[in-house]
Amino acid sequence: MSNLISLSSIKRHYDVGGELVKALDGVDVSIEGNEYISIMGPSGSGKSTLMNIIGCLDTPTSGMYQFEGELVHEMDDDQLASIRNRKIGFVFQTFNLLPKATALRNVEVPLIYSNIPKADRLKMARNSLVSVGLEDRLDHKPNELSGGQRQRVAIARALVNNPSIILADEPTGNLDSKSGIEIMKILYDLYTKGNTIIVVTHEHKIAMHANRIITIFDGKIKEDRINKNMTKAL
Amino acid sequence: MLSLYFESIRIAISSILSNKIRSFLTGLSIIIGILTVTLMGTLISGLDKGFDKSMDFLGKDVLSISRWEWFGGQEWWEVRNRPRIKLDYIDKIKSRSKYAEAVAPVMQRGANLSRGDLGARSQIFGTTTEYLKTTNYGVEKGRFFTNSEDRSGARVALLGYDIAENLFPNEDPLGKNFKIDGIRFRVLGVMEKQGKFLGLFSFDTQVIIPSGATQRLFSRRGFIRISVKVPEDKIEESKDEIYGIMRQIRGLKPTEKDDFAVNQTMAFENVYNQIKFAIGGVGIFITILSLVVGGIGIMNIMFVSVKERTKEIGVRKAIGATKKMILTQFLMEAIMICVIGGIIGLTLASLLSLIINQFFPSTMPIWLAITSISLSIFVGIVAGVVPSYRAAGLDPIDALRYE
Repeated sequence: MSNLISLSSIKRHYDVGGELVKALDGVDVSIEGNEYISIMGPSGSGKSTLMNIIGCLDTPTSGMYQFEGELVHEMDDDQLASIRNRKIGFVFQTFNLLPKATALRNVEVPLIYSNIPKADRLKMARNSLVSVGLEDRLDHKPNELSGGQRQRVAIARALVNNPSIILADEPTGNLDSKSGIEIMKILYDLYTKGNTIIVVTHEHKIAMHANRIITIFDGKIKEDRINKNMTKAL
Repeated sequence: MLSLYFESIRIAISSILSNKIRSFLTGLSIIIGILTVTLMGTLISGLDKGFDKSMDFLGKDVLSISRWEWFGGQEWWEVRNRPRIKLDYIDKIKSRSKYAEAVAPVMQRGANLSRGDLGARSQIFGTTTEYLKTTNYGVEKGRFFTNSEDRSGARVALLGYDIAENLFPNEDPLGKNFKIDGIRFRVLGVMEKQGKFLGLFSFDTQVIIPSGATQRLFSRRGFIRISVKVPEDKIEESKDEIYGIMRQIRGLKPTEKDDFAVNQTMAFENVYNQIKFAIGGVGIFITILSLVVGGIGIMNIMFVSVKERTKEIGVRKAIGATKKMILTQFLMEAIMICVIGGIIGLTLASLLSLIINQFFPSTMPIWLAITSISLSIFVGIVAGVVPSYRAAGLDPIDALRYE
């Protein structure tokens, strides 16, 4: 089976005020389908940069990135936007919902960008919200929802286009522990249904929910191991 | 793609509504600009209609020989010693001109009209039977005077429509008597109602009497002109010919300047056009000024809006918005502010034109409404394009990180 994602010799260098910062300095990662991966590392280690590159928000300075056989490192902005739209679902630490839009509209937005007709769009958005248990919160705006509910809206938005991977950046970072557990349950549930989940975190406890843990340090992969003691959030 | 534009409009409207006061203040200059341009256009098109109507009854194909030019040019000391226009020119013009179809004198002077207790100050016109051929209006009821009445100096008169109502309220004036400067005249007829010329003065308050009576009864003071009806398609040739004949009559040497004037209603048109361009010029200046100011305001607000929504732009890009989609969204917002401003301006202008119409002819043509909305869209695009490009060009990671 061919890999879902394959990164080889990925480098990402920035020029910050004349000084060269090597955020990523030769990273090789292969991800098959249906994995639950956590990317760990202290701040400044390059884990955010790696997530941005995997999420097609950023392009590597050098190296090769294949996503389902497509060469991401050669894509232009529009192609990157399209792959983000169709293949990747983002979940952010700060939820990043549109504040003036209802839950339903927030989930609808990616479908608008992929030109899905209105009737289908509403149905898909509603189903996605139902799948994260928000069927009675469709018309609530973000400020009328709790943190956990907001993050669930964000997950529903990430799921709505049926993406190949879900990228979650510190998904529980802004939540209380109870809501955090709820979110981890949902992610685990998605994993068991065959999705590929990548969680970026600096919390060991969160990382332990994954079946594969990649630790990154100084722009290089320090450790890439199978987690035999996977915490099953049930 | 279409749903994307709807979406952009939807986002734009919700963004405008969530900043009502800001959007209103921003759109104010656009409102003023569109208000000015539509009001101005409305006034000009109203003026045009009124003017055409007025020109119709004056007759475009009538030349008027008088001592002075109707509209400027000459210095007063050059014209004040010019000889008077004499009535015997009429026969000379008739016999020498091949274009003149009718030649009539108009001896105009102020006079007091009275009948019993009723009275009015007005203008009287002494003329001949050919007068009717030199104007486009006729006798409403009764009849015009005849050549023999003119020659015999009969004291008969035709009343303007309004003066007839003033002197003979609720009764038939035909055959009845009234006095001009104390001299009794008999009413032969009433002229057709004409309305006001350019809304300024009216022939409806004037009285027409035969030239014979004028010469016998009243002093020579006052204003004499000779109206010459010429073929409509030969106005310039006729004018040249009349100039020649008049110079002959006056015995002018080739080196001497004209000591008379041949006016035509066309001259009104020139003056009118000057007025129109003046109104139009001022209006366009105000419009351009307010649209430029408004455009700058909108550009400024759009920069603020892009800045405020940097994070939103980042999120939208992360979930798959292309540059073009972000560009469309912000451009649409700028256009919507302008179009809403334009519609408000247009509404105000049409309400105002209804009010103005009570005093002055004014109608808003449909092309003007379309033009002003197109103008609003244009301003929106021009003002929105730079901020929108900035929004579209934001790096998604930087935008997401923006707090």
